[in-house]
Amino acid sequence: MKLLLILLAFFLPSAALAQDQVALTSEVFVERTTTDANGASRVSLEPPGVVTPGDRLVFVLTYRNNGASPAADFAVTNPIPESVVFAGTESAGAVYSVDGGRTWGALAALTIPAADGTSRAATLADVTHVRWRFAQAIPPGNGGQLRFRGTVK
Amino acid sequence: MKNIKRYGAAASMLAVAAGTATPASAAGTTAGTTITNNVTVSYQVGGVSQTNLSTSTAFTVDRRVNFTVAEEGNATTQVSPGQAAAVTSFIVTNTSNAPLDFALAVTNRSGGTAAHGGTDNFDLTNLRMFADTNGNGIYNPGVDLQITYLDQIAADASARVFVVVDIPLGRATNDVAGVRLTGTAAEATAVGSLGAVVTQTAGANTAGIDTVFADTTADGNTARDGIHFDEDDYTVLAAALTATKTSRIVSDPLNGTSNPKMIPGAVVEYCISAANAAGGATATNVGISDTLPATTTYEPTFGVLVNGTMTGSTCNADGAIAGAHASGVVSGTIPSVTAGDVRTVLFRVTIN
Repeated sequence: MKLLLILLAFFLPSAALAQDQVALTSEVFVERTTTDANGASRVSLEPPGVVTPGDRLVFVLTYRNNGASPAADFAVTNPIPESVVFAGTESAGAVYSVDGGRTWGALAALTIPAADGTSRAATLADVTHVRWRFAQAIPPGNGGQLRFRGTVK
Repeated sequence: MKNIKRYGAAASMLAVAAGTATPASAAGTTAGTTITNNVTVSYQVGGVSQTNLSTSTAFTVDRRVNFTVAEEGNATTQVSPGQAAAVTSFIVTNTSNAPLDFALAVTNRSGGTAAHGGTDNFDLTNLRMFADTNGNGIYNPGVDLQITYLDQIAADASARVFVVVDIPLGRATNDVAGVRLTGTAAEATAVGSLGAVVTQTAGANTAGIDTVFADTTADGNTARDGIHFDEDDYTVLAAALTATKTSRIVSDPLNGTSNPKMIPGAVVEYCISAANAAGGATATNVGISDTLPATTTYEPTFGVLVNGTMTGSTCNADGAIAGAHASGVVSGTIPSVTAGDVRTVLFRVTIN
């Protein structure tokens, strides 16, 4: 699918790029806690060099409206990668899905069905998708960052 | 890290993400797995929905080498002096996110406090390691194969290793010998052979799979060296036997049994007692032999009473006729003497 999409991008350059007035980047960092000589712990974000199970990740999504018109009904959707357990977001306004993106809501409103017909409250670890939907249009030249955390399974 | 910008429908991205879940495990995501984060923006310009914009970032999960060697059970193994093939067992668990071989070594502890509190004061001999080839959790001689390494242990999998040793003769009750099983992480390169010892990736991160040691300091180990050991110990439970020989005059030809005297023709009863000290092991097949004094003749009608008891310092004539006499030597084998008990061999002679 990836190859197909890249080919499509080649074959439809004018149509696609003309509409591409929004810039979007995704970055991932590994959060490391180190203890200095004085015993004080320091948290740093590093590029994902050596990453092993259990490492804490910070995903940073950067968006910007490069076009001349406001971008309305702006929504950023990020499925949680396989092999990553969602660990929350500091960016306000997030809604979640725990069923692969079929239904969305605040985490407290979501439940996970059990095999015996009952259900339990969803937790951060159940989140399959996170989405931010902006009530206000993004004016031309404006942008921002969204962050969420995860742990390598 | 790579950044791929791509253009496509958000619906297809969701379809990819849905229904994919990695089973949770202690070892975690397999080394070499690429984690790709996809993000999609949808928006409208002038009331018209625009083509969704997607981007992704990806990185490779590196190899975290971690494993444990742990004694199975939490008690010393009781052994007898001279016992052959005394067994303890260990479990080697691969908690790395990749399969590994493990080189194994078994060594004697050298003094100090052993695994279960006693002081190590002797060395074991003939130290060997065996796999639990038939997987029944019990060492089966001739079935379980002798090994020097573990082959192809998958992530989250474990293997049992039997340590089999011989106990020297001459050790006393509560003597303790510690034993250590050490595992060293090795590459699971080929089935049926031990791979090279795993080394950590030195220097900067590489694009491929890097290796990071994550083994801990548990049980006195050094952290992050790709080596892990655990100890167990053997405690001796010996029998401490003491043999005592007593005699009494039964009768003489003149006085009969009334105040008999040591004159020629008198009958003398010998009692050889084997006492086993309290707190030790049961002694079995205790052989007693006694050479008769030259001036005495074995009394065949009485026989040799074996496995008799004692009341205080008196030998009871309650043994079974099971001993033998040949060429002036009386012998008998007491089947078993438990700790704290005393058993006897009883026979009579006539003074020449």
